[in-house]
Amino acid sequence: MENNLSNPHIRTPKTTRTIMMDVCIALLPALVGSIVFFGLRALLVVVVSVVTCVAGEAIWQICHKQKLTINDFSAVVTGMLLAYNLSSETSLWAVILAGLFSMIVVKQMFGGIGNNVFNPALLGRLFLMVVYPMELMKYKVPSGVDAVSTATILSAVKHKTECSYTVLDAFFGKVPGALGETSALLLLLGFAYLIWKKEVNVSVSAAFFATIVVLSLITEQNPMMQLFAGGTILGGCFMLTDYNLSGKHGKWLYGILAGIIVMAIRQWGVYPEGVCFGILIVNCLSVLIDNIFANKVYGK
Amino acid sequence: MTKKSRFRGGIHQTNGFDKELTANKDIITFVPDVVTISMKQGLGPACNCVVKDGDIVEQGQLIGEAKHFLSATVHASVTGKVLEVTDSYCKIQVHQCSLPDKDSDYNTRLIDISHFSKNEIIDKIEQAGIVGMGGAGFPAHVKYRTKSAITTLLINAVECEPYLTCDEHIILEYGYSLINGALLLKKASGAVKAYICIEDNKPHCIEKLKHLLSNVNDNIEVLSLATCYPQGGEKQLIYASMGVEVPSGKLPADVGAIVSNVQTAKAVADMVLGKIPSVSRCITITGDVTKPANYLVPVGTNIGELVAKCGGVRSKDNKVILGGPMTGRCIGRSVSSEEILDNVSKVSGGLIVLEGKFYDETACIKCEECVHACPIGLNPTRIDFAIRNNDLGLCESLDATECIACGCCSFVCPAQRELTYHTVKARDAVKAKQREEANSGKQSI
Repeated sequence: MENNLSNPHIRTPKTTRTIMMDVCIALLPALVGSIVFFGLRALLVVVVSVVTCVAGEAIWQICHKQKLTINDFSAVVTGMLLAYNLSSETSLWAVILAGLFSMIVVKQMFGGIGNNVFNPALLGRLFLMVVYPMELMKYKVPSGVDAVSTATILSAVKHKTECSYTVLDAFFGKVPGALGETSALLLLLGFAYLIWKKEVNVSVSAAFFATIVVLSLITEQNPMMQLFAGGTILGGCFMLTDYNLSGKHGKWLYGILAGIIVMAIRQWGVYPEGVCFGILIVNCLSVLIDNIFANKVYGK
Repeated sequence: MTKKSRFRGGIHQTNGFDKELTANKDIITFVPDVVTISMKQGLGPACNCVVKDGDIVEQGQLIGEAKHFLSATVHASVTGKVLEVTDSYCKIQVHQCSLPDKDSDYNTRLIDISHFSKNEIIDKIEQAGIVGMGGAGFPAHVKYRTKSAITTLLINAVECEPYLTCDEHIILEYGYSLINGALLLKKASGAVKAYICIEDNKPHCIEKLKHLLSNVNDNIEVLSLATCYPQGGEKQLIYASMGVEVPSGKLPADVGAIVSNVQTAKAVADMVLGKIPSVSRCITITGDVTKPANYLVPVGTNIGELVAKCGGVRSKDNKVILGGPMTGRCIGRSVSSEEILDNVSKVSGGLIVLEGKFYDETACIKCEECVHACPIGLNPTRIDFAIRNNDLGLCESLDATECIACGCCSFVCPAQRELTYHTVKARDAVKAKQREEANSGKQSI
């Protein structure tokens, strides 16, 4: 192969596979947390989701006689992120449905890894939200009564009802919510690992979080609650930063726009939570933002 | 002094790609039994060989006449009998060969060069057939005969390529040759100021140069730069040391700068002060060989012979690189030292034996590593897609013509895509198209 004789003759040891494996490692603390908070049912949701995503990718690639790429761990990452967006009480058939939708419709139909416009996990969640909304509303109160259908912090904030959870509860995770929306601490721990491995662009997350804090101060809400409740941390750390989706330049603008949309939905929208929509909307804008901020070429 | 201004992008190699293999290896001189001197020593087309089979040639005798203004003359690197002459090379049986001596007068003290005029030096450079010895092989006399006013001479001692240490050892062992050569080049260029630019990963070289320069008051200074590949690239070095960019399509001389490699400077001293034309150079033999080393050899030495002297290639599954690992050329896969047929030229900086790994290209994940790493500010992955779709117009609008083929994009790519290969392909295709358009434009007038 002539290509392989081309310079450079040494390469970085970092590959797509090692990056995706690192993302999986970064998501592990939150997985452990969700098992502690919601029991083994949480693990079951994650396993079903991951298996569905990997199988979905494999089936598509086998049917289309493409090269199998399931060993690059990207399907595992999508599977984990999808599960983190669902509650531990979600029916398993719904998880499978969402997983197949994520992998086949959102990822493979657009051309597979690197070519999808939207974050597959988020669009998978959105699919369930539209088609089977009840599946997403069955929240369990962590480590306690087997109550189903309890209000999340953000819906309590939204409807100005009594909220029995404090900011610290949200930070450590003793709140009802989706698997990955509970403990901000454990998610940030994983995010710190990615920063240490230099595998994530911090500016987009920083811009996103800063915008949310500023906007919640303006709208006289508790900024810490807006930050640590709901999917802000999960979305800002693991989904907004998704490689193929955030624009090449103008990371700050990207994060700020996402933050504005999230806060606007939380403030004025029908839904209590807007992270999912916020990220999906900026996903659409990434090409536009790319073109606004072009690099300066040396000597031009 | 350490300058803070840093060029865009680049890569900071950490472990695994270091120079330690040959860092403490002093230069070994070696003269083979037979030399095969290529008639193409650098940028321009091959020279005309002016000797014939059976001739006895003296070391330093002209054997190749340049027939193009971008070619430099070729000299016999040894005294001996011509065995074979073809269009592309001249083979000489070695009787005798003397390589530049560490104890020579001009390598042990500062020489008064005031009696040499600018033109005299440049003429001697032309006679010596000196080309840019950093790898580009541009004839030095053409560079120094520029009509632009030169303010700054940059002696490139950066050696930013991983593995290579030959320039480093030239500084350590041929320090005065280098400085005398640099002063000659400064005079030849008419520059007001000269800097010997070096990366801060070679503190012992910086110390040595500072020590040697301590009693020189000729506006020549050591400039320590923060280590980053490709700092040795002409455009990057000019930006890092002078803070100016060479405009697209222009030459360094247009911003008042000339850049020359340390071995070029040494070659100038060898010629002007030692009357030896450009017939030898220092080369690093490293990587997966038993005893990596730096060799000072006559031009035309078979590299396979040097590798054998280094204990030979250790593993059968290998790839052999001529030049640095980032910009060099692969001259063989799964070969033994006897199978390396290439010979040392004026521009061979190193021979590296690397593990014969194949890289599987996977889909681009749009991680932007290549965009961050490109020292020019290009978007290699977009150019890669454009050229794969044969969209030359898009390649042109993405400024593919500015690519310097440094290899940073492919180096960092986690999808192991051949970005450098495709960007260079795009660059060459767009340039060919532009030339064609320019020519057809002329014809229609």
